[in-house]
Amino acid sequence: MGVILGYVATLGVYFFIYNIFAFGLNIQFGYTGILDFTVITFMAIGGYMAGVASLGPEQPGSDIYYVLGLSLPWPVALVIGAAAAGAAGYVLGLIALRRLRSDYLAIVTLAAGSIVYGVIGNANGLFDGFEGLVGVPQPLNGVLKLSPNSYTLFFLGLAGVIMAICWFVAERIYRSPLGRAMRAIREDLDVAEAYGKRTFRVRMTAMVIGCVFVGIGGVLTIWFVTALAPAGWGTSETFVVWAALIVGGRGNNLGAVVGSFLVAVLFNEATRFLPAIPGHPSLISEIRNMCIGGLVILTLWFRPQGAVAERKARFFEIPLRPGALDEAAKSVPAMATSGS
Amino acid sequence: MAADDEILSVHDLRRSFGGVRALTGATFGVGRGTVTALIGPNGAGKTTLVNVVAGAMKPQAGSVVFDGRDITGRPSHDVALNGLIRTFQISREYPAMTVLENLMVSPQGQTGEHLWTVLFRPSRYRAEERAHLERALEVLADFGLYEKRNDYARSLSGGQKRLLELARAVMARPKLLVLDEPMAGINPALITRLAEHILALREREGTTFLMVEHNLDVVEDMCDNVIVMAVGRTLATGTMAELRENPEVVSAYLTGGLVDVRAQG
Amino acid sequence: MSLFLLTLGFGIVTSAVLALAAVGLSLQFGVTNYVNFAYGAFLAFGMFFTYTAQSALHMPIVLAGVFGTLATGVVALVVDTLILEPFVRRGTSGFFLLIVTFGLSLILLNLVQAIWGVGFDQYNVAAGSPITLGPFSFTAAQIGVVAVAVLTMVAVHLLLTRTTLGRAMRAMSDNAPLARATGIDTRSVTRWTWFISGCLAGLGGITLALNTVEFQAFTGNTFLFVIFAAVILGGIGQIYGAMIGAVIIGLVVNFAGMVISSAYDLDAAFAVLVLVLLLRPQGIIPTLGKA
Repeated sequence: MGVILGYVATLGVYFFIYNIFAFGLNIQFGYTGILDFTVITFMAIGGYMAGVASLGPEQPGSDIYYVLGLSLPWPVALVIGAAAAGAAGYVLGLIALRRLRSDYLAIVTLAAGSIVYGVIGNANGLFDGFEGLVGVPQPLNGVLKLSPNSYTLFFLGLAGVIMAICWFVAERIYRSPLGRAMRAIREDLDVAEAYGKRTFRVRMTAMVIGCVFVGIGGVLTIWFVTALAPAGWGTSETFVVWAALIVGGRGNNLGAVVGSFLVAVLFNEATRFLPAIPGHPSLISEIRNMCIGGLVILTLWFRPQGAVAERKARFFEIPLRPGALDEAAKSVPAMATSGS
Repeated sequence: MAADDEILSVHDLRRSFGGVRALTGATFGVGRGTVTALIGPNGAGKTTLVNVVAGAMKPQAGSVVFDGRDITGRPSHDVALNGLIRTFQISREYPAMTVLENLMVSPQGQTGEHLWTVLFRPSRYRAEERAHLERALEVLADFGLYEKRNDYARSLSGGQKRLLELARAVMARPKLLVLDEPMAGINPALITRLAEHILALREREGTTFLMVEHNLDVVEDMCDNVIVMAVGRTLATGTMAELRENPEVVSAYLTGGLVDVRAQG
Repeated sequence: MSLFLLTLGFGIVTSAVLALAAVGLSLQFGVTNYVNFAYGAFLAFGMFFTYTAQSALHMPIVLAGVFGTLATGVVALVVDTLILEPFVRRGTSGFFLLIVTFGLSLILLNLVQAIWGVGFDQYNVAAGSPITLGPFSFTAAQIGVVAVAVLTMVAVHLLLTRTTLGRAMRAMSDNAPLARATGIDTRSVTRWTWFISGCLAGLGGITLALNTVEFQAFTGNTFLFVIFAAVILGGIGQIYGAMIGAVIIGLVVNFAGMVISSAYDLDAAFAVLVLVLLLRPQGIIPTLGKA
């Protein structure tokens, strides 16, 4: 019983974390049309920075090397992780969001991702290279003195609260005039620009908020796993987030949640617990990745809007001034005859 | 016309692409409150001129003064925020947004476009949003698109998209509206209707119009003033009647694009 | 031999590999007007088809290379015909085509890994004694790589200037609607383009494998953005630009490796990519209407 509960709670935590990733990508791609092909890099930056902010100073002779080691309390580490991811997104945006065609943007994000991957992997003194950080303290774990299963449940609650806040913020942006400007830019950047939208600034805003979200997800990941190494954030992980958003429904945060459940939880995480096929240790992950790629292509073919399509914007209804329609008809006589 | 009556003064604009010299010296003024036409044979540089004036391209030489400000080479959004809105030759609605939303994007400098306000003070933009919404609905009623307000813009017919383009521009409350071939490829009934809208807007809101137009009958009916371009520069300005007497203009059309003009007229 | 000349020699070989791959990517990019993010997987197919032809079918390396090249061309053709073409015909916007090719790269790379395994492989090529050419000294394999690249560049040049297909490809690259209007069979030209692009990717993969000696499924994909850097530096869809871009990037990567550290040589390619995008996003040779 306890084992099953722990397993479900673990999947639940991953579900919430992927929700946050998918919200972040949704703000970038679903709202604004930014092709960020290196989502997961910002998860890593957020996670690593929170890790080194909450870990104690590096121990000589331990063979684990990293920068900082500030022993900060967890809420501060969360803020540092989120801010670091946002700052990294800002720097990438400075290069990638100038008025370039969308394929350039995709190429630059992809290239930047592999550069960051290589640098973090090769520079041992940064976040312990390809070995990665281990033993990152978990929020309140020392204080609460819970059994592992109970702590997982506690963490599920914490992740749930953070996820709910992210969802709320993402929705608030979507419904605002800012979100409307983002969608206008997604639809036609030149036209939005010609109508006085500061497209660079709006796209940068979306880029940075998206990265902050993904960074928060990264902080939760490193807390939950207590470790993070480059093997855990390759390009295929970026694609899992993309798959979640495309399958669930871009432009719709509920879609992001549905997609995270279908792709990231059912497909990706649950299959991690399948036993390896003897003689082919990586075959399961290879098949899984192929299936996720295939799922995205099939979705784009059969249901391009995703499982839950983007909602039509609704405005509170304001009754027209009485007679406004008649007046309009009178002021433009040709209208009555050549209407729709 | 005295210079201080001009809302837009363009002086000696030049722009080339690779070896092609698209603008070789365009100079003209647009009088405040007028409907001014920009005509010329195909390849005369009219669309390039619109792009340069509206900031979509930078000129290599020359100046653009709009409403007393030098806007030469300013980015499009800056030009737009000064009150100069341009439309595009082909309708470019925001396809996956509703008709009403297409209009709601237009108002300039919306309080609700600031992240801080959105996240922490959303109540601050509610009243403004309501005012924009009221106006948007009235504009839609005026343009006969009220019933379509909750439809996706991509589902409109070609003619309705033209109306939407103009309606959306009106929502931005421009001082000068630059229309790039608003009448091209639409039926005569819709031409009449668009013309009436344009004249009504000038009357009601005092909007100035500069329109690139091929249809000389429309130009004759609507426009106070006409600017003629050929091979990248402005040839002449005046009323249609004056231009008919101008041998340079007549010869430019005879050698350049008379067939084209007749075909469209 | 000085370190400078040694590095220059390696730089020439890297440029040759890069030129093969970059021309193939640029050709397809120009004709179809969208980027193929699965190109790194095509490199992997070239590497491993050749590997199998040599190790299992006992072909000599040259014959195995020809087989690998053509087989990769066929893979590219199949991928285009079965998956990409239907999306293009339906009018799917550029955004989603990029996501489709991104998904394809995931599928194809994992397929290669599932078939040929995760470990490193290498071709059975006799190392031999280094051959001295003027101030440089190369292995036989390196000379082969450079020779193949030079011959291929000449062949591509002849294809584009002397054949009907090549002229049609250039016409589509300049203006696809116009090309269609003038009666060019754009569908068959597109398919030929994918086949040729795949062949060049295959060749790029094989030469990359010869150059790095050891290779595995993701070797080509790591190299992908270096190829992108060469293509963007040269100007999207500009074949000769891609060749020049390849030479510049190839030299920069090797000299950066010499000056800084070989662990960071790819970062130099990224730095060039960023500089190009910031200073001259249209590339050395701009394409009208495409920048």
